[in-house]
Amino acid sequence: MDMIKTLALCLAIIIIFGAAMVGLNIHTSKVIADREAALLAGKELLYDSADAQSSQLVDVGANVVTIYKLSEGGFEIVTTASSTYSQSPMQITTVVDGEGKISDIKLENYTDSIDFRSKDANYISTYIGKDSALAEVGLVAGCTYSSTAFKDSVSEALAALISNNLITAGKKSDEQILTELIDSVAIGFAKTEQIESDDADIKKIIKAENDTGFAFIISNADVQYLAVVNAMGVCKVYDTEARDVTSEQSAICDKAVAYAAKAQKSYDADLQKKVEAVMEGAAEITPVKADTFNSVVSVCSFKVNNESYTALYSKSLGYDIMDVYVIIDSKGAIVKFSAKEFIFHEEYFATFGGMNTSEYQNGFTGKTAETFTGDEAIIATATMTSNAVKQSVKDAFESFSKISGGENNE
Amino acid sequence: MNKKPCLLRGNPSLLLVLGAGFVMASSTDVRAALGMGIAVLLTLFFSSIVISAVRNIIPEKGKLPCYVLIITGFVSLICMLMEAYYPDIVKMLGVHLAALAVSAVAFRDADEVAGQNGEWHSIKTAFVTGIFFTAIMFVCALIREILGNATICGKPIEFLQNYKISFLAQVFGAYVVLAIVIAIIKKIFKTKCKEEEDK
Repeated sequence: MDMIKTLALCLAIIIIFGAAMVGLNIHTSKVIADREAALLAGKELLYDSADAQSSQLVDVGANVVTIYKLSEGGFEIVTTASSTYSQSPMQITTVVDGEGKISDIKLENYTDSIDFRSKDANYISTYIGKDSALAEVGLVAGCTYSSTAFKDSVSEALAALISNNLITAGKKSDEQILTELIDSVAIGFAKTEQIESDDADIKKIIKAENDTGFAFIISNADVQYLAVVNAMGVCKVYDTEARDVTSEQSAICDKAVAYAAKAQKSYDADLQKKVEAVMEGAAEITPVKADTFNSVVSVCSFKVNNESYTALYSKSLGYDIMDVYVIIDSKGAIVKFSAKEFIFHEEYFATFGGMNTSEYQNGFTGKTAETFTGDEAIIATATMTSNAVKQSVKDAFESFSKISGGENNE
Repeated sequence: MNKKPCLLRGNPSLLLVLGAGFVMASSTDVRAALGMGIAVLLTLFFSSIVISAVRNIIPEKGKLPCYVLIITGFVSLICMLMEAYYPDIVKMLGVHLAALAVSAVAFRDADEVAGQNGEWHSIKTAFVTGIFFTAIMFVCALIREILGNATICGKPIEFLQNYKISFLAQVFGAYVVLAIVIAIIKKIFKTKCKEEEDK
């Protein structure tokens, strides 16, 4: 009897609430539809990625989803962004006023492993009021990948408007231009962080966390220059036009090298130990300075039975910072290849099936810059490590090529 | 002597323990805390009215499914209303708003208060419980948002930007704030409730 009574009561409750929900839904669906209509009112669709062919706009980036022109002036651009750690793409809505300045940004569907807003709750608000130059908008320490993806996506939104003459491009400061130049002239500088300078002429000091060197924005007679110093103490100076002005700005070079010499860790001794361990009879081990700004942090030449070899130590960024050693013979072929650790925190990767390290290392033997394809570096289910190893080997070949050209040898 | 149940039986310190998940999830922003608090208040209020009204016709063994249906029904209706009128708050609360349907706070109130007392007492208790819950969520959110994020209702507080106690915005900080608030509330209401029950 109780069972029947309970079932009857449950059925009655379901019917009553079901009817209430149907009734409420009729009302709320109208409210929601009106709100959505109001949101779309006053907007003219200029671009929709789903129907890009019919749009008049050109040079719109792949991450741009829609561009609306707002009736009160300005534009609303919806873009997507993904970082290495994104579980699904972020959706970013950027509102730009008629003068090309960002008036609002909304971030939705953000599912990275670490939310950059938890590290810096005000990060997004630093974009408000900025033009396409995004001056003084940095990245969030500890969430570099996702904040970079976010920043790039906003830049892409603004670039789409600029390339269609809908807004004018913002003017970048010299310091900003030179800071952005670091990525192209010092490609090996990974996970950079800014450190304080106590010298009035040094406007900015940027350290590569993988110890590949330092970058400095230094002013000389009110003109700013970028000086990059690699881990072996080689310096290059660039102006805002990205021209190499090292020979004309030797004072800047000296200042940068002097600072780097105090702060840069030397890996020469580590490399020498490695050579002695893996190359029996290695003699005449001599450090060499390579004029490259990649992931190579130390180079030395040595001889075994009168045969000349070059050993290169690279610190590329994979899942973590890797320590990769490559030994190349005089003909440019790899004779030894190894790393301190290939797979970091192996226990966290349920999908990692393990690797035969010696077989993997032997896959590099005999490869030259011409025959190395990068496929040799692939480790199943370890994409970031594979890419880092590939980068290290390519950088080692690049540095070897420079050295074997006879430049900068000590 | 038959003791009259304390109106403050929805003792916030007990409530906070039961609703710790909600407090932590919804107290990073004052708007979210208020939204969640009002949703809890309305759920308790309406479900108390209905449960206390039908308590005598629900068989003992049928209590749980009936309470579940009543509470989830009201939560669904409140979610629908909030989605229509406060979509931004619904976005902030995410899945936690719908999870209110299985909240121990609502079930405790339904089972221990509305299921055993008349309508008037149930409504009073639900109202007091809901108001306390909202107020405590608000206080936790205020502390965490101002000190942890240096914002209020999402708007930056300029002079506090360099003095943020960032851990307060994290889950660990939520636990710390919650523990402090529980301790204070317990101290304040312990004697008050005892006095009321003894009357």
